[in-house]
Amino acid sequence: MSDHDAVLDGLRESLGGVAMRTPVEEIVATGRARRRRRWVGGAAGVAAAAGLAVAVANVGGPPSGAAGEVHVHAAAFTVDSGADGTVRATWDKQAYFTDHAGLQAALRRAGFPVLIKVGRFCKGPRDDGTLNRAGIGKGVSRVMTGVRGADDKVTFVFTPSAMPAGKQLFIGYLTPAQRAANPRLGSVERLVPTGAPLTCTTEPPS
Amino acid sequence: MGGPARKGGVRELEFEEFYRGGRDACLRAVLAGTGDRALAEDLVAEAFTRAWLAWPKVRGHPAPYGWVVRTALNVRVSWWRRRRREVAWDDAHEVADAPAAERDLDPVLLAALRRLPRRQREVIAFRVFLDLDTAATAAALGIAPGTVTAHLSRAVATLRGHFVNDGNVEVGP
Repeated sequence: MSDHDAVLDGLRESLGGVAMRTPVEEIVATGRARRRRRWVGGAAGVAAAAGLAVAVANVGGPPSGAAGEVHVHAAAFTVDSGADGTVRATWDKQAYFTDHAGLQAALRRAGFPVLIKVGRFCKGPRDDGTLNRAGIGKGVSRVMTGVRGADDKVTFVFTPSAMPAGKQLFIGYLTPAQRAANPRLGSVERLVPTGAPLTCTTEPPS
Repeated sequence: MGGPARKGGVRELEFEEFYRGGRDACLRAVLAGTGDRALAEDLVAEAFTRAWLAWPKVRGHPAPYGWVVRTALNVRVSWWRRRRREVAWDDAHEVADAPAAERDLDPVLLAALRRLPRRQREVIAFRVFLDLDTAATAAALGIAPGTVTAHLSRAVATLRGHFVNDGNVEVGP
């Protein structure tokens, strides 16, 4: 066997045990949800073009369809709907304890299903609890990214269309006492189901 | 009434078969292209979601799994552009805990893959892990067949030290 073939065989062998963990049902459900949202957006656009008054509901809980445009600039956070369908948010690390419920409500009104808690860490019934070193679970990077601007301020970009059907983002902030015991972790983010009981604990993930 | 439902059912079955038949090969290809296990999983899931949305087009594509991998790697480029100033919390995907079967993924090999130029990683993804021939790889990447061969040779030369030592072939970590 030539070195060339040996290297290629070695590469194949090295990654040979790697397998997708995402079930096909999740792929299909995400596709269906995205197609539904596109259809709702397209229908709203056609109606607006025809000069009709289109009322878009702002829902209090996780959205089931269209969401309203949101621009909230509070003391503890800002939430702004973008023209590209994303939602941009900033928050003051010192202040989010004071109004995390307001942040959660604003994000939900903007169409992003989210559950925010402080000092409690929740997961769904079939979640094995796996997180990376930064406290982030599988699939989170598809729906939430953080961008540091030139002013060193962090803007979080949420993508509602990328959220799998029946899921929401869970954000669990550590309290100051929990942070003192877990200095490398500030928060936990993972995707959890919207319609199932969650298991929550006050013990931050190790 | 039965027509559309049956058509939808056939579509679902076709897609499920397509997904199950190629998901792992696509994941390995994208992992070779990114060197990041968790990111690769997310990118492939996103690409298959787009394949589901564009299924009539993808099912007729000459290399449908090539379409998926190409899409996943393109998504990565756009994510990277959007996230190039991203904060530290999102940087640690590759260290996510993995099932036992994957815990022996060689971090040195992944680091070596990440250090390869992007085109070389893409050629490895298509030629080695999707098993496309040189012509199909060239078509998928929009480059000349000779360029595919050259990139693969350079990548092999770079990775050779990882697998070949003193005339002995070493396979795996």
